[in-house]
Amino acid sequence: MKKKLLSLMLAGALAVTAFAGCGGSGDTTSDSSSDSATASEDENTLTVYAWDANFNIPALKAAEAAYKEKNPDFVLNIEEQSQSSDVEDAVTLAGSSGDYSTLPDIVLFQDHYIQKYVADYPDAWNNMDGADIDWSDFGAEKLSYSTVDGTHYGVPVDNGTVIFAYRVDILEECGYTIDDVTGITWDRFIEIGKEVYAKTGKYLLSMDGDGNDLPYMMLQAEGASQFNEDGTPNLTSDTVKDIIEVITTMSKENVLYLANDWSDYTDQTIMGDMVAGVMNGNWIIPTIEQVEANSGKWEITSMPTLSGEEGYASNGGSSLYITSNCKNVELAQDFLAYTFGGGDGAVATYDAALTDGGVITCCLSAGESEVYQQGVAYFNDQAIYSKIVEMGGNVKTVTQSDYHYPARSLVAAAIININSGADLDSELAGAQEQLEFEMGQ
Amino acid sequence: MKTIKRKQQLAGWGFLLPASLLIVIMSFYPILQAIFMSLKTGSSANMQWANPLTYNYTRMFKDALFLRSVGNTFLYLIIQVPIMLILAILLAQLLNNKDLKFKGLFRTMVFLPCATALVSYALIFKSLFATQGLMNTILVNLGIFETNYNFLGNTNSAKAIIIIALLWRWTGYNMVFYLAGLQNIEYSVYEAAKIDGANAWKTFWFITVPLLKPTIIMTVIMSINGTLQLFDESVNLTSGGPANSTITMSHYIWNNSLGQGVANFGYASAMAFFIFVLVAILSGISMKVGDKRD
Repeated sequence: MKKKLLSLMLAGALAVTAFAGCGGSGDTTSDSSSDSATASEDENTLTVYAWDANFNIPALKAAEAAYKEKNPDFVLNIEEQSQSSDVEDAVTLAGSSGDYSTLPDIVLFQDHYIQKYVADYPDAWNNMDGADIDWSDFGAEKLSYSTVDGTHYGVPVDNGTVIFAYRVDILEECGYTIDDVTGITWDRFIEIGKEVYAKTGKYLLSMDGDGNDLPYMMLQAEGASQFNEDGTPNLTSDTVKDIIEVITTMSKENVLYLANDWSDYTDQTIMGDMVAGVMNGNWIIPTIEQVEANSGKWEITSMPTLSGEEGYASNGGSSLYITSNCKNVELAQDFLAYTFGGGDGAVATYDAALTDGGVITCCLSAGESEVYQQGVAYFNDQAIYSKIVEMGGNVKTVTQSDYHYPARSLVAAAIININSGADLDSELAGAQEQLEFEMGQ
Repeated sequence: MKTIKRKQQLAGWGFLLPASLLIVIMSFYPILQAIFMSLKTGSSANMQWANPLTYNYTRMFKDALFLRSVGNTFLYLIIQVPIMLILAILLAQLLNNKDLKFKGLFRTMVFLPCATALVSYALIFKSLFATQGLMNTILVNLGIFETNYNFLGNTNSAKAIIIIALLWRWTGYNMVFYLAGLQNIEYSVYEAAKIDGANAWKTFWFITVPLLKPTIIMTVIMSINGTLQLFDESVNLTSGGPANSTITMSHYIWNNSLGQGVANFGYASAMAFFIFVLVAILSGISMKVGDKRD
């Protein structure tokens, strides 16, 4: 008898769990946050996919708070993704299957993808034509990513302006000031770097050797690109060769440390206090600030270039895009225009985004606010944020390509091979050939 | 009589039907779709039939990176699988010893690596062999190395690390199969060999190995299959680097589908079918070689 009871109970449990999946979908209203949230039905709610709880999420929360001033019933349902590629995969999968119903109202992703996404999945997006945004308030370079054939598809969020942060105390130890490393040639940079390494054992620069962003940033500072204007790869030009030459020389002379991967780059070289200089998009600042002992010892400036002019570039910024699954396009456009787009809520949004997450505005007028003028204690009381906004305005627009990431990994592989003895010309020619092959699809 | 048989048959089909339907819908149908997809090119939302139809299949043999990934995978296969299987059979032999104490403990210890998830063990090996990792600390302190060596940053050592990781993870798994096979060999066979004056090596080579043959063939096929589809180690331990020197076929397929945002699904499917054919051929060969019944 007992056995029968037990088996009945087990069978019951099985049946309950088997149907639990069907039953759950009946009451989406009560736990919409735990359900894989797609576009919102409610007329005052928008759902957004974003990543990075220390950076992008606070910015979106700031925007939600700012927009509540205008529309008190507004709710922004932020679905945090563990990394940027999760958002990109969601877009690729929805686009490939032609079923956009899995997408949220708004997605945040990295700037290099939108051109390909619009070309491949033209129906997946709502453009920003109806939005009340003064586009001249943004840097031309930043807008060049999210504009396809003259149509604006996204609203820029984080400005990826490249900063070169130096440890001024270490520079001083070697007899230099921040001005001595501003507007210099890469050759001069290498000389200083050698001296710094000899005296202090610290590298003047580090980078992730696997996803190496140096070639892209250094080329952009020269106003050059890895691609021709017709989209074909251009990895064998003299400028590219000079840049790669500089990078391989730096790494041979212990000026540059190439880490094995991204976490080595952030955890070992920057947070592990191996370097006296960091060059990357300004989103790297929270990583630099992890080392509390070095507070007040950093300052930022522009990049060196081949000619010795001050160099400006941008790397890894992102923008917000409205998907075609959005039921309430007007609300979404109005929300983006009012907050990140430079509307009445822009200053409130960006001020809070800056203080909570360190997200720096792409919207030039919002960069004039009080908060941006304040000195930052970690950076020796330098007003780094207004400096970054100002540098962002100087970034040259260069040819972009859908094949940015394949190009980046091929050039990174070439650099590793050159460092272990391969010939520069033949490695770059090989990378060019492989990239042409990959683009030949 | 007839109706009862009929009823039984119907009941049999009735029981088979749900599972078969699920397999057809969840497995065979996607496979068929993937075959069609491998014959198409273009943006993933709007794929067109390739011209010629075999375009993706001929393309992969001109792809230097894909060929390199094939080379890497076969290197792992040729070096790692024999070492692993020999180690597994020796360990099984040791642990099958009747007089061994704490047998259960040792068996558990050897099998335990299989209980760790693929991603987590890859990450643990990555931190073990990091430039500032435990292995470097030990080797430097023992005076074997003078300075920290960048294991995962150099081509040959990175490949070696992947092979070591694979050995650690999978030897115990194969050992369990051999142990099961050894339990099925009557002890009296060994006693008879002993009486005939066979030494340990002869007993092993002329009794254990032939009697274990079905198990050996099975583990060989499973290992070939597993190694050709190697993915987690390449992605998580080395991310294919340095300079694509450790990338595996599956990892390259991933890069071409979702990995680098290129969404080249047609080409990726074609490469996946190439692996499928490879597995079939290699398994066929090992079955033919192992089967001497004719």
